[in-house]
Amino acid sequence: MTEPIPLLKSLRCRLIVSVVIVEIVMLSILVWNNISIIQTTHTDRLRDTASSMIQQIANSSGNYMVAVDYATLEDYLKNVINYKELLYLAILDRDNNMVISLGPYPKHSPPQIDAHPAQTDDDIFDIAEDIKVAGQPMGKVLIGFSLGLMQEAINKSRIRGISIAVIEIILTVLVTVIIGIGLTRRLGMLSNAAAQVEAGNYSVSVPTEICDEVGKTAAAFNRMVTEVYNRTRQLQKAESRSTKLLHENRQLVHTSLEIQEAERKHLARELHDELGQCLTAIQADAELIRDLSDKDRRIETSATAIMDVSSRVYDVVHSMMHRLRPGILDNLGLVEALKDEIKAWESRNAGINCNFTYAGEFSNLGEHTNITLYRIVQECMTNITKHARADKVSIELYNYGDQLLLKVVDNGKGLEMQSHSRGLGLIGMRERVASLNGTLQLDSKPEEGVSIIISVPLA
Amino acid sequence: MKILTLLSGILLLMLSTSGFADKPGHCSYARPITFGILPFVSAEQLVIRFTPLVNYLSKHLNTQIRIETAPDFVEFTRRTAKDHRYDILFTAPHFYSQAHKAGYRLIASVDSPGMRAVIVVPRESAIKSIDDLQGKRLATVNAKSLATLLVRKHLTEHSINPDKDLKLITTPTHDASLLSSFHGVTDASALMQPPYAAASKQVRDSMRIIAKTDRAPHIPISVGDRINQPCATEITTLLLAMASTTEGQQVLKHNHFSGFKRSQSDEYEKIKALMHQP
Repeated sequence: MTEPIPLLKSLRCRLIVSVVIVEIVMLSILVWNNISIIQTTHTDRLRDTASSMIQQIANSSGNYMVAVDYATLEDYLKNVINYKELLYLAILDRDNNMVISLGPYPKHSPPQIDAHPAQTDDDIFDIAEDIKVAGQPMGKVLIGFSLGLMQEAINKSRIRGISIAVIEIILTVLVTVIIGIGLTRRLGMLSNAAAQVEAGNYSVSVPTEICDEVGKTAAAFNRMVTEVYNRTRQLQKAESRSTKLLHENRQLVHTSLEIQEAERKHLARELHDELGQCLTAIQADAELIRDLSDKDRRIETSATAIMDVSSRVYDVVHSMMHRLRPGILDNLGLVEALKDEIKAWESRNAGINCNFTYAGEFSNLGEHTNITLYRIVQECMTNITKHARADKVSIELYNYGDQLLLKVVDNGKGLEMQSHSRGLGLIGMRERVASLNGTLQLDSKPEEGVSIIISVPLA
Repeated sequence: MKILTLLSGILLLMLSTSGFADKPGHCSYARPITFGILPFVSAEQLVIRFTPLVNYLSKHLNTQIRIETAPDFVEFTRRTAKDHRYDILFTAPHFYSQAHKAGYRLIASVDSPGMRAVIVVPRESAIKSIDDLQGKRLATVNAKSLATLLVRKHLTEHSINPDKDLKLITTPTHDASLLSSFHGVTDASALMQPPYAAASKQVRDSMRIIAKTDRAPHIPISVGDRINQPCATEITTLLLAMASTTEGQQVLKHNHFSGFKRSQSDEYEKIKALMHQP
C-alpha cells in the first residue's frame, strides 16, 4: 500500500479548495458588479425620470403661471403627484412664494437641490427647474423623489444576486466534492493497484465500469499489468533456463578443470614414474658403458653424449612435470609452492619486485583449494608479465578461519573496467573461484594498476 | 469764501444730478409692476409678443415689470375690476369702460384708426358674402371678445341672427378660429384683423375676406391705482416717444403697432353698447 497523502497536498483537497476559492472570488466580483450596475441603473433611471418629469411640468406650467391660473395648474399637478416615487411637488412664483404644494414638502425649506439620486443626504432626491415662457422666468418647480422604492428594488436585486451566488457556490462545492472524491478515489485505486503490481501482485485489476478518462486509464492499466505479467513470466522462464544452463556450464567448466588437473597430475606422475625411470636407467647404463670403455675414446665420447642428452631430457621432463603439477604443492603445501613459484617468476622477470605476504594456517585447505589458488596466482603473474608493465607486485594470502583472502596487486598500467575484451585467463580465474564458492573482485583504473581480491569461504 | 461756497454748491448739484440718473424714477415700488394683458392669444404667445415692450418699459422706468394674464376673459376682467391686480392694463377696448369704472386711468392707446373684425372663408369656398353664411358653421373666439361682439353686431345689422341663422363655434384664440376654417372644420372664421394680418402668408393666401366689421377704438393702455401720477406720466411719455427712437420702433414693429397716442376715456364709451347686445 502507498503512504497516505497529507490532506493539504491531496489532489482532492487542492481541487476543491481551488474551485471554491475561484468561485467565491469570481462570484463576489460578479455580484458586486451586478449590484453596482443595478444601483447605477436605478439611480440613472430615477434621475432621467425626474429630469423628464420636471422638464415636462416646467414646460406645462408656464402658461398657467403667466395666467396666474394656479387652480388649473394644481388640478393638472394632482395627476402628476400620483406617480409612486414622487414625494412632493411645489410651485414657486417669481417671488419664490410657494403657490402650489402637493405632498409632504420638506420642513427644511428650501430643500437642498441634489445633482444625482446617489448623492442625496436625506433619502429624498430634490430637484428644481425654472419655469420659463419664451425665455422669461415665471417661477420655479421643485419636486422630491423618495429613494425608498429605489432602495427597495436595489436591495431586492442585491439579495437575489447574493442568494443566487450562494446557491451557485454551494452547488459548485457539492459538485466539485462529488466529482473530486469520485475522481481521486479511482485515482487512489489506480495508485494502490500500481503499488501491488510493484510488489509483484499481477492479479490486481482496477474497475473500469465508468467509461471516462479515468476509466480508460484504468483499462489501459489493466492491459499493461497483464502484459507486464506475461513478459515477466517469459523473462522468469528465460532467466530460469539461463540460470540452469549457466549452472550446467559452470559445472562443466569445473569438471573440465578438475579433469584437467587430474590429467595433469596423472601425466606428471607418469612422466616421473615411467620416463624418469627410463632416463635414470639410460644414464646409469651410459655411465657403465663409459666406465667399461677401456679408454676407448669413441665409446667414452658416445657414452658421455648419451649421459648429457639424457640429462637434458630429464631437465625438460622435470620442467614439464613441474608445470603440470608442482610437486612442492603436494609435498610442502600452498605457501611453499607459491614462494617457489614467485621465486621462479622473479628469476624470469628481472626488475619486477614481488612481495609475498601471508598469515594463517594453510596446511589443511585441501588439494582442490590449493591447486585452485596456486593456479590463480600463476595466472595473475602470467598476466602481469604479459600486460601490466609493472615494477612492483604484492601478493597477500590470509586465512581468517572461516574464509581465505587472496589479494594480488600490481602497479602496472591498469585496464579499462568497461572494456569487454576480457581475456580467457580472467574468465578462468572467475570460474576457478566459483568452484570454491568464492568471489572475485577486480578493480583497476588506467595507469593505476590492477587489484584482484579473492575471497573463499571455508566450510 | 464765497467762491468756495459757490464751487461746493456746483459740485453738490453735479453729484446730485448724476445720482438721480442712476436712481429709480417715479415708478419705484416695493414689488414689481404687473403688466396685465387680456388673454386674446395663448399665454405663451402673449409673453412672446409683449416681452420686448415690457422689457423696454422696465429698462427705461428702471423698475421691474412682469407680464401677467388670466385663464380667460371673464377671470381677467374680474381680476381687473375686483382685485385691481394689474398695475398697467392692456385690455380690449370694450372692457376698458368696466376697468375705468374700477379706477383704471387711461394713459394711452395704440396709435391706429381702430380695430375691426373680419369674416374669412377658404379661398375656394362657395360662400361669397355673409348672406351665404346661413346655416353654416362660423368659428369665433370667446363670446366676450371684441371680435365676436363686432361680428355679432355686423351680422345683426345684415339681418342675420347669429344665434339662429348660423352656428357659432367658439375657439380659444384668434389663430384657432382662423385655422378651423383653413382646415375645413368650420365653414368660416371670425377674428380681429390684426391677428389675421399677422397670420402666415400661406394661410392668408388660402383664405378670402367676405366681411369687415365697423372699426372700434384700438387697445387702450391704462394704469391702476397703485401707479401714482408721476409714474403714469412717465409711462405715457415713454410710450408716446417710442415711435421716435430706433429702439422703440423695433419694439413697436415686433407688436405690429405703429405707435402709441394719447386717448380720452370717452372714446371707449361708444363701444360699451357692444357688451349689451342681445
